[in-house]
Amino acid sequence: MFEDVSRRTFLKGSAATAALAAAGSLSLGAWRAQAAETTARGVTKQAPSLCNGCSSKCGLVATTVDGTLWTLKGSDTHPYAKGHICGRGHGLAQMAYSDERLTQPLRRKDDGSFEPIDWDTAFREIGEKTQAIIAANGPEALGIIQDPRPSGKYYAKRFMHALGSANVYAHSSSCNLSKESAYTQTIGASNYSTDFPNAKMVMFIGRSYGDGIRPSSVKSLAEAAEAGTRIVMVDPRLNSSGIFATDWVPINPGTDLAFLLALCNVLIEEDLYDHEFVEQNTVGFEEFAAEIKDYTPEWAHTITDVPAERIQELARAMAKAAPAASIEAGWRAVIGCSYKNSFDTARAATAVNTLLGSWGAKGGALLTSSPKAGKLIDARFDDPPKPEKPRVGNKEYPLALDSAGTNLAALQAALDGRMKGLFFYNSNAAKGYAQPKTWTEALDKCDLVVTIDVQMSETALQSDYVLPEVTYLERLELPEWIGGKKHFVGMRTVAIDKVHPETKTCDEIFNGLAKACGVGEYFQFTAEDLATAQLETVGVDIEDMKQQGVVELPDPAFTYGTPKFKTPSGKFEFKSDAVGAAGLNPVIGWVERKVTPKPGEFAIVGGKQSIHSHTMTQNIEALNAISREYHMERVWLSAKDAQSLGVETGDVVEISSSEHTGQVEARVTQRLKPGVVFLPTHYGGDSPYQTRAYRYGVALTDFIPFDVEPGVGSMMSQEVAVTVKKVEA
Amino acid sequence: MARYGMLINTRKCVGCDACRIACQMKNHLEPTESFITYHELETGEFPNVYAEVVPTQCMHCEDAPCAAVCPTHATYVTDSGVVLVDEEKCIGCKYCMAACPYQARIVKESTGVVEKCRFCWDNGAPGNPPACVGTCISGARVFGDLDDPKSEISQAIAKYHALPLADNLTATKIFYVR
Repeated sequence: MFEDVSRRTFLKGSAATAALAAAGSLSLGAWRAQAAETTARGVTKQAPSLCNGCSSKCGLVATTVDGTLWTLKGSDTHPYAKGHICGRGHGLAQMAYSDERLTQPLRRKDDGSFEPIDWDTAFREIGEKTQAIIAANGPEALGIIQDPRPSGKYYAKRFMHALGSANVYAHSSSCNLSKESAYTQTIGASNYSTDFPNAKMVMFIGRSYGDGIRPSSVKSLAEAAEAGTRIVMVDPRLNSSGIFATDWVPINPGTDLAFLLALCNVLIEEDLYDHEFVEQNTVGFEEFAAEIKDYTPEWAHTITDVPAERIQELARAMAKAAPAASIEAGWRAVIGCSYKNSFDTARAATAVNTLLGSWGAKGGALLTSSPKAGKLIDARFDDPPKPEKPRVGNKEYPLALDSAGTNLAALQAALDGRMKGLFFYNSNAAKGYAQPKTWTEALDKCDLVVTIDVQMSETALQSDYVLPEVTYLERLELPEWIGGKKHFVGMRTVAIDKVHPETKTCDEIFNGLAKACGVGEYFQFTAEDLATAQLETVGVDIEDMKQQGVVELPDPAFTYGTPKFKTPSGKFEFKSDAVGAAGLNPVIGWVERKVTPKPGEFAIVGGKQSIHSHTMTQNIEALNAISREYHMERVWLSAKDAQSLGVETGDVVEISSSEHTGQVEARVTQRLKPGVVFLPTHYGGDSPYQTRAYRYGVALTDFIPFDVEPGVGSMMSQEVAVTVKKVEA
Repeated sequence: MARYGMLINTRKCVGCDACRIACQMKNHLEPTESFITYHELETGEFPNVYAEVVPTQCMHCEDAPCAAVCPTHATYVTDSGVVLVDEEKCIGCKYCMAACPYQARIVKESTGVVEKCRFCWDNGAPGNPPACVGTCISGARVFGDLDDPKSEISQAIAKYHALPLADNLTATKIFYVR
């Protein structure tokens, strides 16, 4: 099945390491020592899983020695891994052996400290409090927030629906909610892909494959760059994908919408657009053309600081390369959740592709399909009744992608007393999703807060109950369905021995919670039972799945050509009634960002680093060690600004916004547009239980005022201006 | 006899650290111990800037200064050109650390041996491929036989005109595309 694994023989364990291993005290150091000791003589096995390092969930194969992790390899079959795993993937797997994991259920005492309790007590008390909330305030006063994982997204929804609440939220309001919601309006799908092997020109709007990594995407981009594809990066910072770029377009943060509208303006005014495609496949073009008449390159220059001639040249080049030219789909940042105009920035990106006629074209932007499990016969798996009341937030933020919702509505409801009980699964909302002070205020007002996690996150720290889950390599989960030009199904299996006996799997925890809350009738099965049934519907045997980890499903027979847009009109929508009904301009057009820095102030932009995921990975020893060795927590300052501030690399600077002041070392660089500072978004931890992450660096969320993108519900993660000054030693 | 070498294409490396961590796991290194060092470089001035990450590690020199100074012959060059360390013979004197022009030697805390990249050498053969090459997400690393003109690495060196660092000061076997 997998390649043979050679065993190292040169390593010899000392008596001390053997003693540590025997004692079962598996700190990371002991894990490594034990691994070294046993690799020479132990039993080597391999088992597949799906990485938990980010939302890509790449397929991988874990090699263990006597049940303990040794190495990871990317799955050769999995379309996102293609045989490779990135740095954060290797690092996250080591979480299993962290000395700072949660190892037993905890209950918060009045003084804020935690005491260990047994599972029965935890379930019983949570069940009683949940039922009390339902009795007093109705099930709509309960909600759950989760960063979607194969089992978690299923169980979170089923648990809430069984209780009678529709309040199920993803993390998306601090990720890609604006993008996914916008694309749903314009193209009828929440995402699309770039046909890199055949593309002549690709433009990235703020996204960096080299920082927010999916291995197959980096490989596609590297190969396209090598093949001579023109790669344009629009970003205030020359990001880590810059090596692949032919063009770097440094832009004022939050103004990408003006840039994109000006591209459209040139395409239409110079009659460079694909008339046939527009006539046959779109609605609202006349209104859009009228809307953007004034959004000329000269106009855009004053807002974006990108020269008008450059915008014209890029638009003309895109038109020349069309239809093998497109805007890449983006993910988070400017297009996903960062500004008041993120929703329209995303809509405008798809408008460019439409004018280029690149939808479905070879080398263009592709809409592909996704597989799913068939209907299940076993009545145990039947859905609970649909909750009577709609999800909190659906009314205020009608454009939010239905499968995600906006968790900020739950936060607002907790602030004003409507939401009484909140559950968190694989989610550090209170530090990573919006202004932490606001979350603290909201969680204080709740009658019940329960967090399920593997480590004591800032959210766990503010919860009444903390329930410890096993790490992903220790658990089987529900199948993950993977779409694209080809279809696949992947699954996590139990790849390593359970490290801490008093931790449970996702399904065990939700089954226990459901029973304690009086809705156990809907949870009469294990994740493996359900996985077996789901896989049967597509003709896959679970035992084969446990061996292979990723299985290719019948070929969906993807073909190039204009796709079917699943919008109300069945066409690309330059103008959407639903957007108008939500109180926004129904036609794609200009929206200014909320906060524009004044003279003397800076725009602040955040971004992922290749080895970290949100706040989840900062305490992992191997990853934290890299951050510290290479000073990755530093805030980036442009060389020009640094000179005026008298700052050199390594100097401490003080950053202040309306919400927060923090000090961090500076990195002076030519890779940043003057007037902008860049802060990696993984640092500044507040949980003393995570000693490596605690107070290391500063957190962008602390600086951002609590606010919500109208109609959509994103957190507007960069809508603030900051001042920067040198801290004299 | 094969002569092993590696190519590192900095035009494909995004500096994701996957190679460092895969190497640590494979070789049972501590989180702070790494056989690979990353050099992040910027050239030019805004907005005309080029940024690259140059990973360095043991260069497997033909003329290995670390082997030359080793008083116990713990560090030695094999017939296939791979520089290895015999941990039974290493006395931890650190002469090799001082002699290495690439600062590629590190003390491994758990054993006291002054270690380095061995191309994941085990049982008389290099890793197939070494952990860093196996995990590299963008194909920036290529490993193979330098003496075989048909090998992937020989072809890649020719295609990219890849060169050793430092004017091939010590006849190294890591080739760079810059």
